[in-house]
This record gives sequence, C-alpha cells and structure tokens, in this order.
Amino acid sequence: MKTLLDRARRNPALALGVAIAIIIGAAALFPGLFSQTSPLEIDMGRALQPPSTAHPFGTDHVGRDVYSRVVHGAGVTLGIVSGSLALSAIFGGLTGLFAGYLRGFSDLATGQFTGVILSFPPIFLGVMITGILGSSVANLVVAMAIIYFPLFVRVARSSTMVEASRSYTEAAQVLGAGDLRVIFRHLLPNVLPAVLTQYIILFPLALQIQAALGFLGLGVQPPTPDWGASLQESKDYVLFASWTAIFPGLALILSSLAVILIGRGLQSKN
Amino acid sequence: MRRFLLFRILASALTLLLASLAVFLMVRAVPGSIVETMMGQMGSTEGEAALRRFFGLDQPVYMQYIDWLSRVLTGDFGVSWRQGSPVLSLVFGAFIVSLQLALMVLVVSSLIGVPLGLLAGYLAGGVIDTIIQSFNVLFLATPVFWLALMLLFGVSALFHWSPPTIYASPGRSLSDNIVILLLPMLSLAFLQIAAYAQFVRQHVVEAMQQEYVRALKARGVPPKVILGKHVLRNILVPLITFMGLIFIQILGGVVVIESIFGLPGLGRLLVNALYARDFPVVQGALAMILVSAILINLLVDVLYHAIDPRLRT
Repeated sequence: MKTLLDRARRNPALALGVAIAIIIGAAALFPGLFSQTSPLEIDMGRALQPPSTAHPFGTDHVGRDVYSRVVHGAGVTLGIVSGSLALSAIFGGLTGLFAGYLRGFSDLATGQFTGVILSFPPIFLGVMITGILGSSVANLVVAMAIIYFPLFVRVARSSTMVEASRSYTEAAQVLGAGDLRVIFRHLLPNVLPAVLTQYIILFPLALQIQAALGFLGLGVQPPTPDWGASLQESKDYVLFASWTAIFPGLALILSSLAVILIGRGLQSKN
Repeated sequence: MRRFLLFRILASALTLLLASLAVFLMVRAVPGSIVETMMGQMGSTEGEAALRRFFGLDQPVYMQYIDWLSRVLTGDFGVSWRQGSPVLSLVFGAFIVSLQLALMVLVVSSLIGVPLGLLAGYLAGGVIDTIIQSFNVLFLATPVFWLALMLLFGVSALFHWSPPTIYASPGRSLSDNIVILLLPMLSLAFLQIAAYAQFVRQHVVEAMQQEYVRALKARGVPPKVILGKHVLRNILVPLITFMGLIFIQILGGVVVIESIFGLPGLGRLLVNALYARDFPVVQGALAMILVSAILINLLVDVLYHAIDPRLRT
C-alpha cells in the first residue's frame, strides 16, 4: 500500500487512477455519504427531467434520481465484478497451483477443460450461462467466475512451474515436506503476485462483460441500480433524455479507466 | 507442415466435440422443466411420459447426445420451437449479417489501428505517443454498447439524422446496407483501433531496440521504410495471432450492439431465442459461434506457419 502511494507520487497517470479508484470505492462502500435520495423511489410526475440542482444527473423514465442510482450502482456493479473475479482467482489459482506442481494427468485434464471454456468467446459464455440458467445475481456471478477461471489457471500454472523448478522448492522437498506443505507453504506465497496482477488486468474486461450482460437484460435485473441494467432501461430514451444513458456509462468508463491506469502504473518499472 | 496441420485439425475437432457436449448438457438441463411447463397443472403421468418420449428425454443422456450429434453432423439442427423454420437456415442467415459487420470492423480497425501503433511506437515518449496512448486507454475503458448509444444520440442531435431501422441486405441495396452498418461499425471500431494501436506500439518499441533497426537507422534508411517494410514484417506473426483474437472479440461485440441498431444478426437471434426459451435455435447459434471461433484460431495457426519460415519443417 505504501509503495503504491510512493509510486503514485512519481507517476501522474497512476496517481489519477488511484484517486478515481478511491472516490468510486468510497461510493461503493458508503453510498449514503454521496446521496441521500433513494435510488428506487418512483415519481412519474418528475419523469425524464434534465439535470438540475435538485437532480444533478436528471431523472429517468419513472422519475428516479439518476445521480442516486449511479452512486448506489457502484456497490452493485463493482461488488459483482470484484466478487466473481475473486471466486475465479481462488478456484483458478488453486487449480493452476496443483496442475503446475503435480503435472501429469491432472495437468492434461485441466488443460483440456480450460481449453473448452476458452473456445467460447467470453461474452457468449456469459450469455449462454445466464440465458439458460436464468438471469439472477447468483447465476451472473457463476457465469463470470467461469469465464475468467481458465485465465487464472494459466497464470498460476506457469508461475508455479517456474517456482517449482527453483532451488527453495527442491530444498523443501529434500527436507521431507509433503506436497501439500510445499504447495501451500512455499509455492502459494510466490505465485500469489502473478494471480493478483492477473486480477487487476482482468478487472476492466470483466466489468465490460458484466455491464454488457446487464445491458442485454441477462445480468442484474431492474429496478436494482446496476449500471448495465440502468443503461438497458435508458436505451429507449437516449435520443431525447441522453442524461439517463450518459452518467451510468461515464461511471463504467471511470471505473475501468482507474483500474487500467493502476495496472499500467504497477507494471511499468519506475 | 502437413503433420502439423493434421494435428491442429484433430485438436480443434476434440475441443469442438467437448464444447458441443458442454452446450448440449447445459441446454439439456432445461427441457425437463419444459415438459412440466407444457403439462402445467393438468399434467397426467401418461401425458408427461409421452412428451418425454417426443423430446427423446426417456433415453439416457449419452444416447441423447449421440443422437443429437449425429443429426447435427448431417446438418440437421432441428426446427425452431417458435418459428417452425429449420434452425440451420435461421442461424446461417443471421450469421451472414454479423459476419459482414465484423469483417468491416476488422478491416477498418486494422487500417487505422496498425499505423497508429507504428507511429506511437516509433515516437515513443513524445507528445504524439502520449496522445495516441490516452486515446487507447480511454477507448479500452469505454463499453461498446454505450458508445453505440452515444453515437445514436450524437448523430441525431448534430445532424438530425437516425439510421434506418429496417435492415437491407447488401444484395438488395448495397448503399442502404452500408448506411445501416455505418454507426454499428463505428461503435465497434474505436475499441479495436485502440487495442491494435496498443498492441502494435508495444511490439514496435521492442523492435526499435534491436540491432537490425539500429543498423538501418545508421545507414540512413528513412523511418517510413524502416517501419513499413522492416519492423512491420518482423511483427507480422504476433500481429496475425492478435488479429484472430480481435476478430473473435468483434464477433462478441457485434452480438451486444445488434439489438440497439435492429440488425437481424446472430446475437439478436441468440438473445431473442434465450428470452423465448427456443432451445434448438440457442444450440444452433452457439454451435455456429463455436465453429467460427475454432476455425479462426485454426486459420491463425496455419497462416503463422505459412508466414514464419523458421516454423517450416
């Protein structure tokens, strides 16, 4: 954390990313600090009003406050993305760890299984899973966790293979440590950075998929203030009430942007 | 080369087989409930058993799969539960629409994105590089469907124009067809231009450090020739792999934006079939996507062996 701030001081793009991330993160965790208006309160009398002091981002087709919906959407959208990617990272990371260490049959089987998942373009896999199983938050999380599972397996596996050939692993084995001890005690801490980097790289991509599924009506369902779902609702009004679409989209862009900038900043050497 | 090709085709076939099994099992997890929906409250056990026989659900699952697969291999994807027409012709007609759009996006984004990447890589660290990189990051962060909405809004606000909502195939009227595909093409192209530019830039920056570029520079070869002839040729292999990835990504993007512009493509077909629970169409559309994604990957591998003389045996 400290190194992150140190680096941010020297790298303005990274600093910008961190700043945006802090603001959006705060909105996700404490939406009440940013907006006291309810994101769900319907008032047909004030439908589709342009931005004003009372409603800084205007109101949507049923008179809900767009600003409040964008603020409350942060927790929903980003919560789903970070949660499902975390699931993916845990299961994919462990699978890659075991496959890369044990090799042999389990490695081949894992390779074939992840190959099948990877043969589907990501968005189709998402559409297929949420479309067939039905659109609910749980199915959405499962779908997204499955989409990114192979990419975590790959990173963890190749990193494990590198670490397993190092002398510290050999030393642990010679001293009589069992496979499980070698994997969890010695390899896991060394493979973790690669998995975390992958998490940051995949986050903006997963956010796009989450939003696209919401937009197709296959993700989070209205009236939950999910950004993608809000955009789906705004689709028919964009020509004459553009604010209903502009702001949830900007929230998506800023979130992706923040993570992309942080990822780039961490990968660059200085 | 021939052995490699044979191996790759067999590997692709195995992946396709396993993926089709995944699609089959997933879709098959549902028809049981469809029988129940159809029977509703009045369902008799005999009626339910008859329906199960009708859908082939009384057979063990592996038999059902073998049966389905053998019919698919002869081109019989069944009949749409909603429209009654053969799935194959529905899916194929829709695929052509998506494919045309995807190819247009691929051509336009390659023609713009690759030169931008070459330029940014050659001028790495300069003002132009910073501008191109900011463009990249911005469009990599922008959801394609949101850009599509904004383009619709922008065009209507600025020029008081909206694209026609009735699709015209290029066979019927090429000019109408291009006009309809213009905004969808633009919505998708920005992201892919950014992706190309970023990818090419990174490879050019690496190539610029290498001996052969420094030698060319020392000999006074103009930058245009260095970039266009020597560097481009050296990054061609990774570029082709990347093009394959981009193309699959475009196909995915096409699916998301088709409904916005009312294009009768594969994505709209798939999403509508999912809403309507029309599973033969869902299976057919997914099979089409899988086959094309796997074919693209195969093609990329073959091309790259044909291009790189070091890989020839």
